[in-house]
Amino acid sequence: MVFDNLLQTVVFGLIEGSVIAVGAVGLTLSYGVTRFINFAYGEFLTYGAYLTVFLAAGVFGMSLPLPVAAVVALVLVGLLGVAVSRVFFEPISDRGALPLLITSIGVSFILRNLLQGWVGVSAKQLPIPLLRRQEYFGIRLTHLELGVVVAGVVTMLLIHLLLQRTMLGKRMRATSGNRSLAEVAGIDTTDVIRQTWFISAAAGALSGVLYAVLFAPFRPGVGFEYLIVIFAATLLGGIGRPYGAMLGAFFIGLAMNFGSTYLSANYTRAYAFIILVGVLLVRPEGIRGGEF
Amino acid sequence: MALLTGWASFLVAVATIGCIYGLLTLGLNVHYGYTGLLNFGHVAFFAAGAYASAIVTMPPPSTVTNASYELWLNLPMPLGFPVSLAAAALVGGVLAFLIGLTSVRLGTHYLAIATFALAGVFSDVLVNEAWLTNGSFGMNSVPKPGRAGLTADEWQLAYLAFAALSLLVTYLVLERLVNAPFGRLLKGVRESEAAAKTLGKDTNAVKLKSFVIGGMIAGFAGGVYAHYLGSVVTAQFVPHVTFTVYAAMLLGGAASNTGAVVGAFLVVAFEESTRFITTLYNWIQSTLPDALSGVLPALFGPLPNNPSFIPSMRFVVIGVLFVLVIRYRPEGLFGDPAEIQALGEEED
Repeated sequence: MVFDNLLQTVVFGLIEGSVIAVGAVGLTLSYGVTRFINFAYGEFLTYGAYLTVFLAAGVFGMSLPLPVAAVVALVLVGLLGVAVSRVFFEPISDRGALPLLITSIGVSFILRNLLQGWVGVSAKQLPIPLLRRQEYFGIRLTHLELGVVVAGVVTMLLIHLLLQRTMLGKRMRATSGNRSLAEVAGIDTTDVIRQTWFISAAAGALSGVLYAVLFAPFRPGVGFEYLIVIFAATLLGGIGRPYGAMLGAFFIGLAMNFGSTYLSANYTRAYAFIILVGVLLVRPEGIRGGEF
Repeated sequence: MALLTGWASFLVAVATIGCIYGLLTLGLNVHYGYTGLLNFGHVAFFAAGAYASAIVTMPPPSTVTNASYELWLNLPMPLGFPVSLAAAALVGGVLAFLIGLTSVRLGTHYLAIATFALAGVFSDVLVNEAWLTNGSFGMNSVPKPGRAGLTADEWQLAYLAFAALSLLVTYLVLERLVNAPFGRLLKGVRESEAAAKTLGKDTNAVKLKSFVIGGMIAGFAGGVYAHYLGSVVTAQFVPHVTFTVYAAMLLGGAASNTGAVVGAFLVVAFEESTRFITTLYNWIQSTLPDALSGVLPALFGPLPNNPSFIPSMRFVVIGVLFVLVIRYRPEGLFGDPAEIQALGEEED
């Protein structure tokens, strides 16, 4: 019985870890090429979840099946990411990290509150039925929870292939490693950065959709509140390091679920942070040093 | 007879809140403007001060509805007022010391996130530890000092005078401090930590001191706020407060105390003015000739009819302010461009 409960907690930790991992990898990819932590990143999660709901519910004139709605939402948020970068960040990209960081807070305020002003603060949820948990090898899961893990793992795999096997991935790694050197080598780094913004924002949107699947209902502040958790995973892995972010995400997911199950469910975010601060004190560069 | 009606009462309220935000901004300016510490958890110190004031002055829970707090001192007004404010500053300082102890030595990004997160954790504590804070019901019977002997309007004016005086004194003390050797040390740490270390300065200790001073000012502001509203609720202490204070500081000019105060008043005024958006919209609509009456709705659509529209637009304004100031006038209204230059540089 005790063991069952333990196993179940591990599984829930891994499920939530998948949601965090998708978001953390997206955030860290954009940090890799832009060199600032984007506080507006949480809004990509929010917009992903809301656009999916709206597209599925026919707010824009036609109602799409949920998976299609989610894919369309990812693309739209990806484009939003590129637009945000062009309008707000590119014009001051030569001014160092601090102005970019502070601008990103302004951008997050604008995006979040425009949405909230439009849709109000009432909670929304995805049109998905409540499912009964099935037994798989003694672990109780719904199909959706299983789906979230699969989506998370597939995303990790795709990002791994992108970074290691494609020209864009190589350009991204080069830009991240040394932008001026990449420039000299003939890489159009501005273009690389835009493409990275697209991927990063779309990953954020996917994380938001997965979050909405697991933890309905949600409000316009959802992404901003969850940002803390994603930051924890990102920092734990060392900012700018996709593989570290994945590892950090599962670590944080486990910590949060173990804390909620065995200590107190009121402090879920705090467990993520106690771990983070502990790690930072010992290893300020995160658990996984090394190259992008 | 009401002394203050309509506009006058509105202006007095805005000015009082402006003074409180002025204090908060002065505190943050010690952290960010003078020492270069990117503190994204300022609201935690503000909340700590407000709760400290509430706890030392709240009446026994048996006399209050929906009370579940177990700690109260019920200090009598007005003599308890200075004690309450001192407690607020002290608790703000202690919290800053604790958070600073773990965080000040972290680099810019890590510090920003650590303080942002620790403030989030602190707000979870406020919501969950109802024995101390009365949970999300809040502490709603914080006494208003001197209220008994005055009419409502007189008290509003008297409290505004007190808030303005607090702001002035804090401003003068800080002006003195930043021009003293200690102030130069803070700036030295901001400009080059390596250089300060080479000169034998313990930079982490300097940062920690800066953190505590700013935290105490924010805690004090919390005390002033608690006794002004007579009520302290967790929902007041959200990250938006931190970033509103940032907006004020950046607009006024980082590393300028005058800028901090002016910025705070401007931002509070900006925020309050958004409540007139609907009025303005309807006024423009009604004064336009009939032929043009379709233009505005066509451009903006009908204004969304939900209660969160105006509060949301208020924060959109703050967001736009961030973007515009950083892009077009990074030194703000009163800042020194040379000092801001140093803030943007990152040491690896």
